[in-house]
Amino acid sequence: MAIIKAEKTPDRSAPVSETSVMGWLHKNLFSSAFNTLLTLFTLYIIYLTASGVYGWGLRDATFAAENRRECYDYSLTGACWAGVIDWLDNIFYGRYPREEIWRINFGGLLLALWMAPLWMGRVKGKVLVGVTVVVFYPFLAGYLFSGGDKGFFMQVMVTGAIVAFAINMANMITGLTKNMGLNAFIIQMLEQGKAPDKTQRNILLLLLAIAFAAAFVWQVNWTVEGVSWTKWGGLFLTLVISGIGIASALPGGIILALGRRSKLPIVRVLSTGFIEVFRSVPLITVLFMATTMFPLFMPEGFVLNKLVQVIIAVILFNACYMAETVRAGLQAIPKGQFEGAHTIGLGYWGTMGLIIMPQALKHMIPNIVGSFIGLLKDTTLVSIIGLFDILGMLRSISKDVPWLGLHKEPLVFGAILFFIICFSMSKYSRHLEVKLSAGHKH
Amino acid sequence: MSDAQTKGQLASAISSEVMIEINQMNKWYGAFHVLKDINLTVHKGERIVICGPSGSGKSTLIRCINALEEHQEGDIIVDGFKLGKNLKNLDHIRTEVGMVFQNFNLFPHLTILENLTLGPVWVRKMNKADAIETAMKYLERVKIPEQADKYPGQLSGGQQQRVAIARSLCMSPKIMLFDEPTSALDPEMIKEVLDVMVDLADTGMTMIVVTHEMGFAKTIADEVVFMDEGDIVERNNPDAFFGNPEHERTQKFLSQIL
Ligand SMILES: Nc1ncnc2c1ncn2[C@@H]1O[C@H](COP(=O)(O)OP(=O)(O)OP(=O)(O)O)[C@@H](O)[C@H]1O
Ligand SMILES: [Mg+2]
Repeated sequence: MAIIKAEKTPDRSAPVSETSVMGWLHKNLFSSAFNTLLTLFTLYIIYLTASGVYGWGLRDATFAAENRRECYDYSLTGACWAGVIDWLDNIFYGRYPREEIWRINFGGLLLALWMAPLWMGRVKGKVLVGVTVVVFYPFLAGYLFSGGDKGFFMQVMVTGAIVAFAINMANMITGLTKNMGLNAFIIQMLEQGKAPDKTQRNILLLLLAIAFAAAFVWQVNWTVEGVSWTKWGGLFLTLVISGIGIASALPGGIILALGRRSKLPIVRVLSTGFIEVFRSVPLITVLFMATTMFPLFMPEGFVLNKLVQVIIAVILFNACYMAETVRAGLQAIPKGQFEGAHTIGLGYWGTMGLIIMPQALKHMIPNIVGSFIGLLKDTTLVSIIGLFDILGMLRSISKDVPWLGLHKEPLVFGAILFFIICFSMSKYSRHLEVKLSAGHKH
Repeated sequence: MSDAQTKGQLASAISSEVMIEINQMNKWYGAFHVLKDINLTVHKGERIVICGPSGSGKSTLIRCINALEEHQEGDIIVDGFKLGKNLKNLDHIRTEVGMVFQNFNLFPHLTILENLTLGPVWVRKMNKADAIETAMKYLERVKIPEQADKYPGQLSGGQQQRVAIARSLCMSPKIMLFDEPTSALDPEMIKEVLDVMVDLADTGMTMIVVTHEMGFAKTIADEVVFMDEGDIVERNNPDAFFGNPEHERTQKFLSQIL
């Protein structure tokens, strides 16, 4: 073949339509008469909506007033945010005694601190952090929120939580400052680095036992005043129910999904039946069943409080949905992964825990977060069976004498609140997905 | 090219100890009879190459040996342990028999080093530092120590297959099974994998290799087994097998691939 081109062709700059703002506008918004019309029309709609919202929600709105009449005196067309502001404490905490609200905030702070190491690259032992928060935190928080006398089991769990939390924080500090785990740090401080593994382990266990004993003795005298669950409400109650639901739906879903794929026919049939029954009934039905039917099956005199019944219903319902998400994730894992695990001698649990689940969970993150968002929103259904969660609280504003008939503003406020929470969750899941897939290529 | 391969046939180190014994073994997939009256004895240090047309049951046979598939009739005895419902025996066989697959089956979410240390740490309960040392030793042996911290997806096919071999070796198995280890590879990568396998054969490992690489078979095999439609048709030493095949099915197969 003859030479076609002897010289290299130099690069030329791209056409204007690809790079300039005007070019972009022309290409995307005004490329034809029809597109231009559509663009203008859309802009007009956006303008109408935005100006309407602005006028009602900000320009003409009242932020400080004693009651609804005063709002009207100020403006007839604006929103009356004063009512919402007056009720803020109720919206967030329900009827929880005002002087005890610090306990809820403190509980939230503990949770945030407990989970913080999960986001810190240098801190070691993240799995342990995740497990302890699920196993111990609920008991500590449960006692903090409801108070009263602790039974022996509760005392043990609260002690466990205190110890776990303290270790976690110490581990975070050594991780951040010395870049090492707490155990390695202690061994180093005691100059036992050369000692055999067994001695090192015994030293650590001994220290753990001492810490446990000390915390146990201390917590015996630590009590907070009892607050009945009937006083719980608002966003706090919504987060408690959905938080427990979220924390237990994933483990429950994993167990059910594995059961559904089990080789044992009985386990498989039971799991499948359970999943299918709960998935084919609406949550509201499950809630009604839990609060009205469930007590009928219980022995005489055995009374569960309504909140516990609701929480059980939410857990079961969501575990079943999660099971299907997990199953889909498991199915995406090629058979070769099981065989690879088999050839290095891993058994069932080793294969699932080390090879299959870590890969499957990563595929499932968007769906899992999707279910969490759904769960948070669905939790508002409990207001129908008489719990004063955030929706229940927002709706009671209109029955409060000074704010009689104030419907719109509380609901708009609730919508904004939900949007903020759910949108951040979904943004975070996007971020996680990108981060995890950047870690390695398939 | 490795020394061994240039010299031609490797020295053989077969002992009288029996590693694998298969007696009158039959297997069905549903109603389909895949393996028929299989008898096969493999001694310690022996290197067997299995060949045969597609669908003849080669993969199924070696997958039965490490209990990836169940057989319905007859006995398979590996390293003195009989395969069957006994779960303890299965655990033993899982750890003592290594296997390398056509498509590697590395764990994509773990680094190469983690792929190699997982088995020793979790199954053999080795401590982490020792496991890493062993892993690095085998990575040197398959000539890719510099890839230790990468993920499988970042390696070429040939490198991944060498990692897979190293991963099995880290468990210090008594037997290594290979199911067409080079047939998913580009031609220029086949040799690097075969070289590693020749080196391995040189150490006296008991090996069963399903392959269509006839040059390789001539180099390492003590015996070549030919399978067709679920039967073991012929078994012979490589010179006789390739130079003077006895059965007409073998002759037909060899005339097609050589
Ligand atoms: N899981 C299975 N279920 C049903 N039939 C199967 C299954 N696996 C394999 N077979 C059939 O069993 C026969 C033997 O398969 P096997 O994979 O052992 O052949 P092979 O000799 O390894 O062939 P190849 O050279 O193509 O890998 C084939 O006819 C195949 O279709
Ligand atoms: Mg095959």
